[in-house]
Parts: sequence; C-alpha cells; structure tokens
Amino acid sequence: MRRLLWLLLAVLAAQAQAAPLRLEQVAPGVYVHIGQHKDFEEGYDGDIANIGFIVGSESVAVIDTGGAYAVGMALKDALRTITRLPIRYVINTHVHPDHVFGNAAFLEDGPRFIGHARLPQAMSLRRDVYLRNLKKQLGAAADHSTLVPPGETVQDRLTLDLGGRKLELRAWPNAHTNNDLSVFDGASGTLWTGDLLFIERTPSIDGDVKGWLAAMATLDKLPAVVTIPGHGPVTRNKHQRHQALARQRAYLDTLLRDIRGSIRQGSGMPETMETAAASERGRWQLFDVVNRRNVNALYPALEWE
Amino acid sequence: MKNRLQRLCTACCFAALAALALPAAAQQSQPRWDALQQSHFPGKTLEAAPFIHLTAPSRAPSGEQVPFAFSIDHPMTAQQHIKSVTVFVDENPVPLTAVFHFNPQSGKAEISTRIRFESDSPVHVVAETNDGRLFVNTATVRASGGCGGPVNGDNPAALAAAGKMKLALDGPFKRGAVNTARLLIKHPMYTGLQRDLNTNGFRPAFFIDKIEVSYNGKPVMTADTAIGISEDPFIQFGFVADQPGSLQVRIRDNAGTTFRQSLEVGG
Repeated sequence: MRRLLWLLLAVLAAQAQAAPLRLEQVAPGVYVHIGQHKDFEEGYDGDIANIGFIVGSESVAVIDTGGAYAVGMALKDALRTITRLPIRYVINTHVHPDHVFGNAAFLEDGPRFIGHARLPQAMSLRRDVYLRNLKKQLGAAADHSTLVPPGETVQDRLTLDLGGRKLELRAWPNAHTNNDLSVFDGASGTLWTGDLLFIERTPSIDGDVKGWLAAMATLDKLPAVVTIPGHGPVTRNKHQRHQALARQRAYLDTLLRDIRGSIRQGSGMPETMETAAASERGRWQLFDVVNRRNVNALYPALEWE
Repeated sequence: MKNRLQRLCTACCFAALAALALPAAAQQSQPRWDALQQSHFPGKTLEAAPFIHLTAPSRAPSGEQVPFAFSIDHPMTAQQHIKSVTVFVDENPVPLTAVFHFNPQSGKAEISTRIRFESDSPVHVVAETNDGRLFVNTATVRASGGCGGPVNGDNPAALAAAGKMKLALDGPFKRGAVNTARLLIKHPMYTGLQRDLNTNGFRPAFFIDKIEVSYNGKPVMTADTAIGISEDPFIQFGFVADQPGSLQVRIRDNAGTTFRQSLEVGG
C-alpha cells in the first residue's frame, strides 16, 4: 500500500514538473515567464528568474533557461505549444544558477549556446559549488541539471538573425556580475536586461557596484520600449524603465553610502548588516536576506578603499 | 608550531576524506567533533563552559566572510589565565581555523574575526587555562561555499597587495585598562581548494599562518592561522596599556615572508 502511495506521488511529481510554464507575450513574438520572488534558502524551486524566448520567421532564441533542468524542460514544453520552429540559440544573460541550470534541457535541440566572453570562466569556477548547492536545495528535482557553457561568446556585440528580426547582444563590463549580457530585439523594441535590472526583488551584488551604476545609466538611454528585467514585472515604456532604474540606483547608492559611513564610524560588519540601507527596506522584496548578503560582500572590500 | 599545525591540518584532511566516504545519514556533526577531539586533545576532558561567549550568526548570508567572535569571562592574572583558544569549524575541509595564544597582557581572552564555512557546521571553541584545564563551547552556523568557492579577484593584483595592513584602536586610548585594536590584513588567503583555470588544477594554498602582536616589546597576542580565516583577514583583539607606547604587529605567510605594522598609541 505504502509503495503504491509513493508511486502515485512520484507520478504526480513528474506531472507537476512536466507542466508547461505560464508565459506572457509582452511584444509580438516575445514570450516571458515571470519568476517568483523566492530566496535560494527558503522554498527555492529553481523558478525565480525571468526566462523566455523570441520567435523569428525561421528560428527561435531562448533567453535564460531557469534554475533547473526541469524548469528548462517546462519552458521548452511551453515554447512548443507556440511554435515548431527550430531553437537555434540559447542565450545566457549571466552565470547565476537561477538563469542557467535549465540549459541542459535544450542540449538535444542542438542550439548554439551563447554568453559573455567571461561566462565560461565564471561557470568553471563556480560549477562545483553551484551543483552542490542545487542538490541541497532541490534534492531529486536537481536531476539532469548541469552547467552547459557557451560554445560561442560575446566580447562586445553580436547580432543574431532569427529571420525577419535581429537580436543585438551586448556584453557589459563588470556590473551585476563580471559576465552580464543584454539582448535587444529591434523588431519589437524589446530589451532583455538580465539581472542588470531588478524590479521588486532586492538587487543582489556579485560584481562591481560602480560598473553596475554606469551600465544602468547607459540602459536608461537605450531606445527600447518594452524592458524585461531579470526579476520582476516587465515595463511597458521608457518612463517606467527610467523609474525602475532610478529605484535600483537609489538602493545601490544608499547601500554604499551607509556601509562607508559605518566603516568611518568604526561600526563593525555584523552591526552594519543590520543597519545599512534600512531606509530602503519597505521598497523591496526579500530585503533582509539579500541586503545582508550584499553588506557581507561589500563591507570587507570597502574597508580597503 | 608550524609543524604541529601541519600535522593537525594533515590529520584534518584525512578526517575530511573519511567523512566523505560515509553515507549522508552518518554525516551528523557529532562524529566529526568526536574525531577532532580525539586527534587534538587525546585523553583529555573538555568541560562545557557557558562563560565562553560566542557571537556567530545562526544563518550566515555567505560562507566566505562569516563574522565570528569569542569572549571568555575568566581571570587574566599571572596565577590564573587563559593560555590559548582553538577554533574549529567541524565540517570544513580543514576544521582547525586558528589557535590564539593569550597572556595577562592580553587583558581578556577575546577575539573578533571573520571565518569561512564550507557548509552548515558547528563551530567549537576550546580554551586552555595556564594550569591545563580545557573548556569548550559551541555554536552552529548555516552557511555554504567558503573554502572551495570561486575566487573572482585578479590574482597578480592580490599577490602584489598581499601583506598590507591597517591597524587602529577601537575608541580612545585608555591608560591602565584593556584597549581594543583592529587589524586588517590584505591577503587572498588562498585555500588550496579553489580552482585555477590556467592550470586546470587548484590554486596553491597561500595564507597568513602567524600573527604576533606586542605592546612596548611585550607579547600580547599570537595567532596561528589557517585557511579557515577569511580573505583579507580581520582580527580584533585586546591588550593592556599601562602607559602610552607602540603596538607592533608581525605577520608571516606560509611561504615564510614576514610583514610588520605598528601604531603609536596614547602619545
């Protein structure tokens, strides 16, 4: 009886995994799945980042694949309800596990995997830790998740032709990470920022704040109308994007100012983890956990300024 | 001392390998601690000591730079004092994180630092008194990825800056009392467990293994440090200053290079 119950549960679990992801068409031929604001520590399911694809007249480009093989498969299932065109490209916006672990689901389609010139190195450095963490977080749901490095990298710019529409890929200097890549679809005026832009979810820092602020100033001037952030809702016009960038800038500026102030006053890192950027707390989701992580990463570096 | 540390590290590595071979269910922390106790304090009794106060986050945002402090309420006189304090992070590949040596000039057996956690782990702090009694207290920290984790930094730049120090008093000078000083050391503290992409192997361990502090020529604190101390080490310690003078720090890395820093206080 117990064995039957387990079997039933296993079947249900398999079905739950196979359910296609919910997609939103934010511009003609541009489909996004909006991830949930969950942390890596509590209730993580690999489905927290914005992932999706763009359909041309000849082929499809997938942009980020989710945090597990199962999420990547669910994205592909959803994609296949919309188009039978070949998946010619899988683009990763940066190395973070919630954006890349679904790559493995697309291996059998034989696409060109594309990322920032520094993405292969970042993947090699983090492979062991990322895989170990994923197994801890997801258990059996981490199965088949591997880090698939890009076969083709972008040093500065790269244009991909999907038939009837061209994607402009842009590699950024050290910002959110040291391997951020954005995607612009000229046909629909859609900009895919990866984690260069967080909306609602507290921005997490793994690169260089100064470089990130500079990248944000450039993003603000781009001609795109629709903007898809790495996390949070899609913005529909330049004004909304400008506001989102300004909000993110306010958080990063406040965080830097507060940490520098703490160091000047001789306030230690543990205290600063509780106090820095506290004025921003009400504006962001997952603030306590992400903000503490940011302080923990920045404080020791800023002590040497 | 270095030999002893090396022996300890070797013992710990074997302990780590042995633990890896165990099935997951057996990897509770207690067997690790039992093994550590047996190899470091064979035949000795460790007395539970609530007067060893530990400050560590129950959940650390990352395993790279976990703030950690101990403060021991115990006399620090010539007759009766804490002689040394050993810090273990049980589940780390090299659990022995540091041994701090104190004397009455330390004022108090008290250290604040930042340490690495490779995974969730108990931290055990063992204090030895001058008459040979051993006391222990423990705390558990949830954290991950501190030892074999990525090194993002620029290697040549890190090596060029290694050994730079900042030394400052925490608060105004207090004559005849215990003063607190903060020492910052610029150093990558390579663990030997981090990937080196150029060689496809691991970047060799390169870390500060000794810190010696004296005040007006008298030793106040010495630390034998290992790879469990975070990159760019931070050590806050106490010292008794009966008069204005010179606080001097000498550090050494595992390649044998030494660096010095000093601070005139109370002048």
